[in-house]
Amino acid sequence: MKWLNILGLLGVISGSAFAEGISVKAADPARNCQNCHAQIKSRLHFSDGSSQTLQVDETQLNDSIHGGRLGCSDCHQEKWGNTHPSVESRSVRDFSIKQSETCKRCHFAHYTRQVDGIHFKLLNQGRTDAPTCVDCHGAHDVKDPKNPRVVMNRKCGACHKEVMKTYENSIHGKGLVEANQDHPLCIDCHGAHKIEKSDEMNFRVSVHLVCGKCHGDAERMKKYNLNPNVLSTYLDDFHGMSNQFYQTQGKDGAQAKKYFATCTDCHGAHDVQSLRNKDSAGQVRKKVIKTCVSCHKTGKDWLADAWLSHQKPTRETAHWVWGVKKFYSFLIPLIMAGLLLHILLHLWKLRSNRSKGKQK
Amino acid sequence: MKNLSKTSKIPKIIELEDGTTLIERFSSVRRFEHWFAVIIFLFLATTGLPQKYYTTEWAAELLRWFGGLDQLRGAHRLFGLFFCTHLVIHLLNIVLEVMRDHIRMTLFPTRKDLSDMVQTISYYLGHREKQPIYPKFDYRQKFEYLAIVLCSIVMAVSGLVLFFPIELMQVMSGEVILVAREMHSSQAVLALLLIIIWHLYGAQLSPEVFPGNASIVHGYMTKQELARKHGAEYERLFGPLDGQSVPRQARESSHEKKEGV
Repeated sequence: MKWLNILGLLGVISGSAFAEGISVKAADPARNCQNCHAQIKSRLHFSDGSSQTLQVDETQLNDSIHGGRLGCSDCHQEKWGNTHPSVESRSVRDFSIKQSETCKRCHFAHYTRQVDGIHFKLLNQGRTDAPTCVDCHGAHDVKDPKNPRVVMNRKCGACHKEVMKTYENSIHGKGLVEANQDHPLCIDCHGAHKIEKSDEMNFRVSVHLVCGKCHGDAERMKKYNLNPNVLSTYLDDFHGMSNQFYQTQGKDGAQAKKYFATCTDCHGAHDVQSLRNKDSAGQVRKKVIKTCVSCHKTGKDWLADAWLSHQKPTRETAHWVWGVKKFYSFLIPLIMAGLLLHILLHLWKLRSNRSKGKQK
Repeated sequence: MKNLSKTSKIPKIIELEDGTTLIERFSSVRRFEHWFAVIIFLFLATTGLPQKYYTTEWAAELLRWFGGLDQLRGAHRLFGLFFCTHLVIHLLNIVLEVMRDHIRMTLFPTRKDLSDMVQTISYYLGHREKQPIYPKFDYRQKFEYLAIVLCSIVMAVSGLVLFFPIELMQVMSGEVILVAREMHSSQAVLALLLIIIWHLYGAQLSPEVFPGNASIVHGYMTKQELARKHGAEYERLFGPLDGQSVPRQARESSHEKKEGV
């Protein structure tokens, strides 16, 4: 009897997605859906002409991270009775977008983060090609996005093809091996859910923290024999200090208006290259000057000397800065110690004078 | 009340009806300069220190208060310009007045200041019975004035370098900016500590002057106080001190002739 019903509904589904509810009889709820959807051949047709297969690969479902944890109706939550409700979407894409809404029932924190992201904003503006949950994570084949991490990069690359090409030729992209957890993926810099528009100030003010996440980590930098002081030396510099302030005020809603140099201005973003054994000091200097004058239009080549290439000033690299620093580090304590000693002697004398006066 | 002074090198001396004699220590111009500098200094410190200690919570709080970095920095630079202007006027005024022989260089360090210092310390240590006789400004005050003037010059010059780095870079190496930044930052701390530790102690917190030396408010010092603290200046104006460091009545009457010359 059950099989007869199924055979009957196959014909209805292939007719139109807007058909009246399809009657389904359930005997074994756990196996119900698979009874039909494991081998169903027909497709769900939408009014814009697109269609969606109704077949669900059971092994794929079981291999997914939800396998054994979630049942079909956890995501396909339409009110189930004896009939399938009608699908009120105009296209497959519409259907996917709507269906993505179901993820937030469990993954609410991720959902709220992506609401602040650029992809969600685009979706709201009617850009239906902007990705939603299932586009990056998959639907029936959801995998653990952290294992292997590199898979997520391919998802970004599916749309951002040009950027991906540039990235793959960069030092970060070239060294990307699945086993290496240190190389940054798209989401490490841009975030996964709350992806900000990268040409906006609130992204710019935090670029140094994005890079600093790895390049400020001494332990990790040691592994690759890289300078661990790049973040601290940047922050000690005028631009870095300003950046820090702009970031603080950005949290209070006062967005920075002035432009300031950050990591990507000199090193590039997707095309970041290693500076090791590649360019001579002169070439690097030329690059620095180029970056300087892109903002300080009237600046001369000397501007490059105002930047110590992420090195702390030493006697050899910047003897004047080093000397002045040393000078004050001796002078200030010396003067203060002298003055305090003088004050203490004075107080001591006043006290002994007073006690002498009392004796008299 | 009668004014006894005739020339500018002799300060105003006022005799009150109750017999107190007051000697002018700071002219109204100098008092104005002092309080003007106080306001500018405090404002510059308030807007400058958060830029040095930019990672602290109080720096963020001040930033919020000013409405952002551009406002904070703008205010700092504006007041920095006031400060520089005052510094230039003050120094020019001193130079011109000294050249015209209108004022004495009472804050200029001399060899006597060095011996005063040695003698004072040995008095503190109990090796001497009495303190030396100090001039109008003792070595502690001279040190402070000169230190602050020197700090001001360093702050003004380095501050201007940081105000116009690109313009300066047309003629100088970029390392000048880094040196100026280092100097501006450290010298500020030195100046602040000098004021907090040395000036506040000398002018307010020391038990001898607590709760404060009011001469910077009204400009005058009593004759007794002058005799006690700045004996050499007393002697210049009123003739020799007696052994008690307290002026005798006879000398007080005799000086009037002298002042009148």
